[in-house]
Amino acid sequence: MFRRGRLLLWGACLALAVALPLVFKSGFMLSLLCQIGIMVVFALSYNMLLGQTGLLSFGHAVYFGIGAFISMHTLNMIGKDGGPLVVALLPLVGGLAGLLAGVVLGWVTTKKAGTTFAMISLGIGELVAACALMFPGLFGGEGGISGNRVVGTGSLLGFTWGPQVEMYGLIVAWAFVATVAMFALTQTPLGRMANAVRDNPERAEFVGYDTQRVRYLMLILSGLFAGVAGGLTALNYEIVTAETLNAHTSGVVLLMTFVGGIGFFYGPIIGAILVTVMQIVIGGMTQAWLLYFGLFFLFMVLMAPGGIASVIAMQRNLWQAGLFRRMVPHYLAVALPILVLLAGLVGLIEMTYALLAGEGVGAGDTATKVMGMQLQLASMEPWAIALAITVAGVALTRWIGGRTRAAWNETLATLHGDRT
Amino acid sequence: MTAPAIRLSGLRKNFGASEIIRGVDLDIRRGERHAIIGPNGAGKSTLFHLISARLPVSAGVIELKGENVIGLKPFEINRKGLSRSFQITNIFHNLSVFENLRCAVLWSLGYRYSFWHRLAGLTDARLRADAVMEDIGLAKRRDTPAGILSYAEQRALEIGITIASGADVILLDEPTAGMSRSETDDAVALIRRVTEGKTLVMVEHDMGVVFGLADRISVLVYGQIIATDAPAAIRCNAAVQEAYLGTGSHLGHQP
Amino acid sequence: MEFVVISLLNGITYGLLLFMLSSGLTLIFSMMGILNFAHASFYMLGAYFAYQISAWLGFWPGLLVAPLLVGAVGAAVERYGLRRAHRFGHVAELLFTFGLAFLVEEVVHLVWGTSSVDYKIPAELDGTLFTLFSTDFPIYKGFMMLISVGMLVALYALLTRTRIGLIIQAALTKPDMVEALGHNVPRIFMLVFGGGTALAGLAGVIGGNAFITEPGMAAAVGSIVFVVVVVGGLGSLGGAFVASLLIGCIQTFSIGLTISVTDVFALIGVTLPAGSQVARLTITQLAPVLPYILMVAILIFRPRGLMGARES
Repeated sequence: MFRRGRLLLWGACLALAVALPLVFKSGFMLSLLCQIGIMVVFALSYNMLLGQTGLLSFGHAVYFGIGAFISMHTLNMIGKDGGPLVVALLPLVGGLAGLLAGVVLGWVTTKKAGTTFAMISLGIGELVAACALMFPGLFGGEGGISGNRVVGTGSLLGFTWGPQVEMYGLIVAWAFVATVAMFALTQTPLGRMANAVRDNPERAEFVGYDTQRVRYLMLILSGLFAGVAGGLTALNYEIVTAETLNAHTSGVVLLMTFVGGIGFFYGPIIGAILVTVMQIVIGGMTQAWLLYFGLFFLFMVLMAPGGIASVIAMQRNLWQAGLFRRMVPHYLAVALPILVLLAGLVGLIEMTYALLAGEGVGAGDTATKVMGMQLQLASMEPWAIALAITVAGVALTRWIGGRTRAAWNETLATLHGDRT
Repeated sequence: MTAPAIRLSGLRKNFGASEIIRGVDLDIRRGERHAIIGPNGAGKSTLFHLISARLPVSAGVIELKGENVIGLKPFEINRKGLSRSFQITNIFHNLSVFENLRCAVLWSLGYRYSFWHRLAGLTDARLRADAVMEDIGLAKRRDTPAGILSYAEQRALEIGITIASGADVILLDEPTAGMSRSETDDAVALIRRVTEGKTLVMVEHDMGVVFGLADRISVLVYGQIIATDAPAAIRCNAAVQEAYLGTGSHLGHQP
Repeated sequence: MEFVVISLLNGITYGLLLFMLSSGLTLIFSMMGILNFAHASFYMLGAYFAYQISAWLGFWPGLLVAPLLVGAVGAAVERYGLRRAHRFGHVAELLFTFGLAFLVEEVVHLVWGTSSVDYKIPAELDGTLFTLFSTDFPIYKGFMMLISVGMLVALYALLTRTRIGLIIQAALTKPDMVEALGHNVPRIFMLVFGGGTALAGLAGVIGGNAFITEPGMAAAVGSIVFVVVVVGGLGSLGGAFVASLLIGCIQTFSIGLTISVTDVFALIGVTLPAGSQVARLTITQLAPVLPYILMVAILIFRPRGLMGARES
């Protein structure tokens, strides 16, 4: 498992994570990096179910949220008796809480696989989310519960976890440990049998494995790591609301894991980074961010169901076969019409937003600011232009895209031809 | 005398109103190679599904090495030393050939649901999987995903997964179905080699394979066994001749 | 007595509405093997379309046109989206409908805003149908029942009297046959998907103004419909019917009950320790979780659901 190349890769990733705050010093970047670190762990724990065991869960936030709440309560309970060392170990408490939640809830959900599992996980998620609103004492009602991660006096090797950069260090440490542990798990008998159960549950039964037990154990372990992520989020934000365990959070982790790619261990890492950055960067630019993200997700489902990781893996295969250079001009050629299409589409969506949901609703002939331009949304002109660009983009993409596809298929044929 | 490897008594199976297995009594002796033949729709595959607990029985008793195994789950029966292959290839498509075989040996080597062993460090599992891979002639395809193997290779892998755990009772469901003549010959040699010293029960349509391999043959017609005997005796059996003449005889075909 | 009768009537009304949704979901699942995660989104679209049409043309045209529009959208989704996702397997299909639900909610945000819209009951249906004891039973509830039962009869007739109905029915009881039919019947798939979503749309048209028309309505109803389908047994129309009524009644009864958990246990002779948070909860407060608790109980004690024929 620990071949030299792999060790180097792990080391490089860790070094990069540690070095990033030296480059990006702003508070904004730092909190973005913290959020990414947490989401990486959460998404990886989700992929233990979806990618490795073939279980599509719509309620994974339950384990994340329970981990966060229990960590927060523990933090508040230890209060003055604690110190930085105890705080540093809190994510482990969150992990144990997630594990216990997995033991209890997983017993119900993993009785079934496939579609039924998906529905049950959704129902259990709703059940827990509804319960959270029912017991304000425990979950803090609408306002959530908050705490302070700086407890006691003194420090651990000079760290009090007060400054955000120290918190980032703690997140990196935990994320690294959790990632290594989750990777190691894929290299164990249970991890491999989870793949087998995913591929062919019937055959797994006929080589001696109880598929229900395999699913149950994987869910429990996945709950553990989701709980660790939850503990980190409690420490990072110093507040936990019922939002952390509801359907929305479950949806987000599913989206980022899938977009990153469920077939590769590193897929969810890419997804967590990409989606978190998009969320914060594009989300800061436009109200329509969720709409764009929904479109992007559907596009991925229909065009690249293996996620970004599989696209990367394909390019790497081409590169190794010396075929990548053949495709580069085609990629560049098809990028242009896609950009045109995107420009038109984004224009249309932004103008619609400005007209219907923005502040200029019913503003008649006053100009509304859209994407930095002053536009007369009441007149037909901007709409006609945006529509024309979109239509042109569609036509061009179809035309050039067809050629790209042909080239792609040809290259693939060469690739497979070389292999056999 | 030790109990037979498999004993079926009064075994019945019905799907709704139609009875597919209509009272089967059969002893499979330890260490023998036993073939079950019969016309299409006689219930041969169903019989296998009952023995391996893929389907629940309607009535009757199945004993595996003297122990009643009615009501056990497939994985429980497998752990008692019975392993089976499928008529329709049933492998782990996304895993490599080697991983397929390693998955098949993990339980029998006692690794169960371990998440504290490193697979790479399990020398016994690796050696066993490699040995089986050598046996079934797929060593050169070690890291190929099982899903893209050729049909004959997948059938060989199917047999490999079945025998890898070291089970002493092996059920093979039409191991040579859909193979060419030369592939069939290879498969027969393979089966003969890997089931040495074990109990083998197989369903097979190819009479060449049946008469070449089997120590005893049972003939299943419409859910009942009409004869169980040595190959030579089966060939001369009047009832068998009659049953087969109605469906187009393959029995004259010499191996 | 009064409480029981009124709650029962309300429960049946709500249950029938749930059945309009769960029947479509069940038909689609049985025929195509797709669990349509976005089913409740079509319910929401029905409500919003009806709101828009009734603002322009009035309620009655909306009642007719909105479900057809929703059905057309559904058919288009099947034709241009699901059919493509189908090639990548069940998980891709499920994810596609999940993404669709996400997208529909955002589009609704975009077009109609984030708060609820004023989709009103038409004046001619506003009023009291009859007064039972001292409680008024509104005309609109009676109208909802009428539409639901009418739809039910029509669906029954369609399934038992027409050729397509017979094929669908055969597919319900014999899933193998669907595979035998396989890809030769994409048009039937499109019809079933369009029909199922149109039913959901109709439920939205008559449910949107009875309850509330807002962007969160799909998520709220969607998870309940899934519970209905699990409780009834995946793929069983009869089960979906029974479970719809059952959950409809549970919801309406529990909302009206102000007794606490302690009281309930006292009825069966168990005294709970006073002071715990759970013991002080009233049944009304528990109402939102009761369907899920029922689902968990069913899964533990009868995993194939009330009337489910096969384990999945």
